[in-house]
Amino acid sequence: MATPIIMPKFGQMTEESAIVEWRKQEGDKVAKGDILFTVETDKSVMDVESFEEGTLLKILVPPHVNVPVQSTVGFLGKPGEAIPSVSPPAPAAPKAAMPAPTTPPVLLAGQRAPPASVVSAPVAAPVTPSSQPAAPPALFRISPRAAALARQCVIDPAPVKGTGPLGRVVERDVRQYLQSRGYDKLRVTPAAKELAAKEGVDLLGLVAAGEGRISLAEVQRAIAEKPKAMSKMRQIIAQRLTQSFRDIPHFYVTVPVDMSDLIAYRNVLKAAGAPYTVTDFISQAVVLCLLEFPTVNSSTDGRTIRWHSQVNLGLAVSIEGGLVVPVIPDAGRLTLTEISATSKQLADKARAGKLTPDEMSGGTFTISNMGMLNIQNFSAIINPGEGAILAVASTLPQPVVREDKILIRQIMQITLSLDHRLIDGALGAQFINAIRSKLEDIELWKRLTS
Amino acid sequence: METFDLVVIGAGPGGYPAAICAAQLGASVAIVEKEQLGGTCLNWGCIPTKALIAAADTFAKITHAQAFGITVTGASLDYAALIAQKNKIVSQLKSGVKQLLTANGVKLYTGVASFKDRHTIALSDGSAIGARKVIIATGSTSAMPGFLPKHERVVDSRGFLDIPKLPGSMLVLGGGFIGCELACMAAQLGVKVTIVELLEDILLLLDPDVRREVRGNMEKGLGIRILTGKALQNIQAGDKDVTGKCGEETLQADLLLSAVGRKPVTDGLHLENAGLQTGERGFIETDDCCRTKVAGIFAIGDVTGKVQLAHYATAQGLAAAENAVNQKPRPHDTLVPNVIFTAPEVGTVGLSEDDAKKSNRAVKTGKFRFAGLGKALASGETLGFVKWIADAATGQLLGAAAVGPHATELIAEATTAIRAELTVQELGRTIHAHPTFNEAWMETAHAVHGEAIHAAPKRKG
Repeated sequence: MATPIIMPKFGQMTEESAIVEWRKQEGDKVAKGDILFTVETDKSVMDVESFEEGTLLKILVPPHVNVPVQSTVGFLGKPGEAIPSVSPPAPAAPKAAMPAPTTPPVLLAGQRAPPASVVSAPVAAPVTPSSQPAAPPALFRISPRAAALARQCVIDPAPVKGTGPLGRVVERDVRQYLQSRGYDKLRVTPAAKELAAKEGVDLLGLVAAGEGRISLAEVQRAIAEKPKAMSKMRQIIAQRLTQSFRDIPHFYVTVPVDMSDLIAYRNVLKAAGAPYTVTDFISQAVVLCLLEFPTVNSSTDGRTIRWHSQVNLGLAVSIEGGLVVPVIPDAGRLTLTEISATSKQLADKARAGKLTPDEMSGGTFTISNMGMLNIQNFSAIINPGEGAILAVASTLPQPVVREDKILIRQIMQITLSLDHRLIDGALGAQFINAIRSKLEDIELWKRLTS
Repeated sequence: METFDLVVIGAGPGGYPAAICAAQLGASVAIVEKEQLGGTCLNWGCIPTKALIAAADTFAKITHAQAFGITVTGASLDYAALIAQKNKIVSQLKSGVKQLLTANGVKLYTGVASFKDRHTIALSDGSAIGARKVIIATGSTSAMPGFLPKHERVVDSRGFLDIPKLPGSMLVLGGGFIGCELACMAAQLGVKVTIVELLEDILLLLDPDVRREVRGNMEKGLGIRILTGKALQNIQAGDKDVTGKCGEETLQADLLLSAVGRKPVTDGLHLENAGLQTGERGFIETDDCCRTKVAGIFAIGDVTGKVQLAHYATAQGLAAAENAVNQKPRPHDTLVPNVIFTAPEVGTVGLSEDDAKKSNRAVKTGKFRFAGLGKALASGETLGFVKWIADAATGQLLGAAAVGPHATELIAEATTAIRAELTVQELGRTIHAHPTFNEAWMETAHAVHGEAIHAAPKRKG
């Protein structure tokens, strides 16, 4: 009996996943530990290994189709072995239309438990439109002859108005359309026409350049410019950030932080072998402030407020093709050394693409540090489920006035984005100035590192 | 100081058409030439070598006409007369160029040009002319490696054309197209030729199957000795001969022809006065519209180091002239046929089979040998083949190669077809006159789909 291959569940909140690529084809021998396929969950891309050896008998779920976790995606067994007659799992339905039973998937930092109000938030559409059963094909909409003529002319018949029975598009409609669009004046090189036919490019959508005829260059440009499905990661980023920016009334406060003393102190520590990065100090300062200002460590849906009892600190990490936000859970209980070690471990995992969905969930506040990217200042978009985010810019030498003298100091601008539904300007100002004074208080760091 | 809309530096196959084109567009144009109108192509390159090669070819035909029942005894070659004929052709063409330039109102200056600044060109007689725009078309010259002795028995291709009589034996250093063309020519006229090439094969830019065809005939048909993957060292030239060590062996000949490549001519131009620098290899970098990095200064031809062929320089020249005179920039074409006048001749255009396969696309090729063509058999010229390289998905013609009789002429059809973005199907359906060598293209197009009428079907599977 063939063994079913199951779509694994990667994290507590992963409900559905899409196979990005089958690494084995039907008929391939599979050894224990071989990678069977790669999966894109709503948070990351991971390899799935085989627990058994055998031959890949059947692939039930093609790439880029979202299916619920734990469904059978294929069968493994001995060649020739009977495969149970199983219909492929129904692709996960788009949830935009119906309330999801649990939390929406989170790529950036998410909630530990679902706040009741965001349940009906739409999740990203499936990766390819084709993975969704479209409206039943309108067999009757266009006659075979009309369709053949459109195909032969390499045009898209969709805009053609039908005058046949029940508004069916018939050959005469296509001819009429071709004439009205000036098709007979179109000059197309043979290779360009072949390529357009192969790639489904509508010749009427192209504009001849140069020598008055449509050449390969125009078709290739049209192919290159065709909208392509976003990666799952980008879809999630798009969906979540749009949701946040649309629903959360953001406001921003910025302060300059004089980092000269802290950097000097950190260099002393570094020379002595301590591993702290500047980000570690910022993380620690933020955690201390969040404990002092619990309102900033809360979130709202507009009607209710959730006070988070612990600080789960998200750190935005830029990776190939997007960004992820690993979360340091309960950072308020960690020492600076522990924060430093956890951050490093999570960032390394993030860059290696090895973060588990759970390691990216439950954040209550996020730091986005672009200090290494040489910028004066920026503002970040709050992760849904959180009340604020801190944007850290580069530390740059700046003229500073102290006691009527101009000094050159290492200045780092930090900008706090806040959810105005929760937090008002005065509190935002107090909070960011608290971060600033902690970072500038060298005695504090001496205490924390001794 | 007289000021022109455009000053062209160099009157070779790039420069003089550029000057004429700009003049025809209404610009006031001056052209500066330090040596001879027509440049390397007309004086020491394409044209004179073709005169010699035509003679060698005719000589070979006369002495190898037994198959047609023609036996010629006592055929002999008067090399001095041939050189005189060559010189006559060259001077005729040169005066033609001069007439064309004058008739179009282009003002001629003789001397070495150098930049005083972006808009002033100093001439070697001490005078200067003003230039609103400049086209640099100074070309290239043979690179003579430093290890070669300076001796009359050691010549470059230009020096070779001036020798009064053919040597009995000749060493050719370098198996590029210049070395191979002159080697074939000399061998056909009875010179004992040895080619030494450092790389693993001669004519390395060609596909292996094309190379094999040429090399096979050069070695077996013409008796040329070809040593590849070897350096020629310790070269000594004396009164009697020139010698060199090639591995263990000492090679000896009456003459050594160096044909190891060409280098750009920028000496004396004082490009720095115009704010222009040459690239790493000494070439002047340009974009598709022949613009250099300095506004108003264009460069074309060999000095740009792209494709070192006269017809490419001409194409660049015309685009540069238009771009210098008009406001709207026009890129020059980049599909360049490449022709080699060896025996057999070679013509290629577009992607080679190797490059097409490397370009990460599915390609299909078709090949048809002249031996299957009536006209080739009737003419007694059956060596070689033509080949199409096409995109497997769309049938787009990507490249072509011809090796064999009239290959350098045949490549024109392929160039037009590729430029027009024809597919292999359409080329195959195009009616080709019978009996002609051109039919090979049609047969080859059918062969891409395994549908050649005049070749045995390939066994499937």
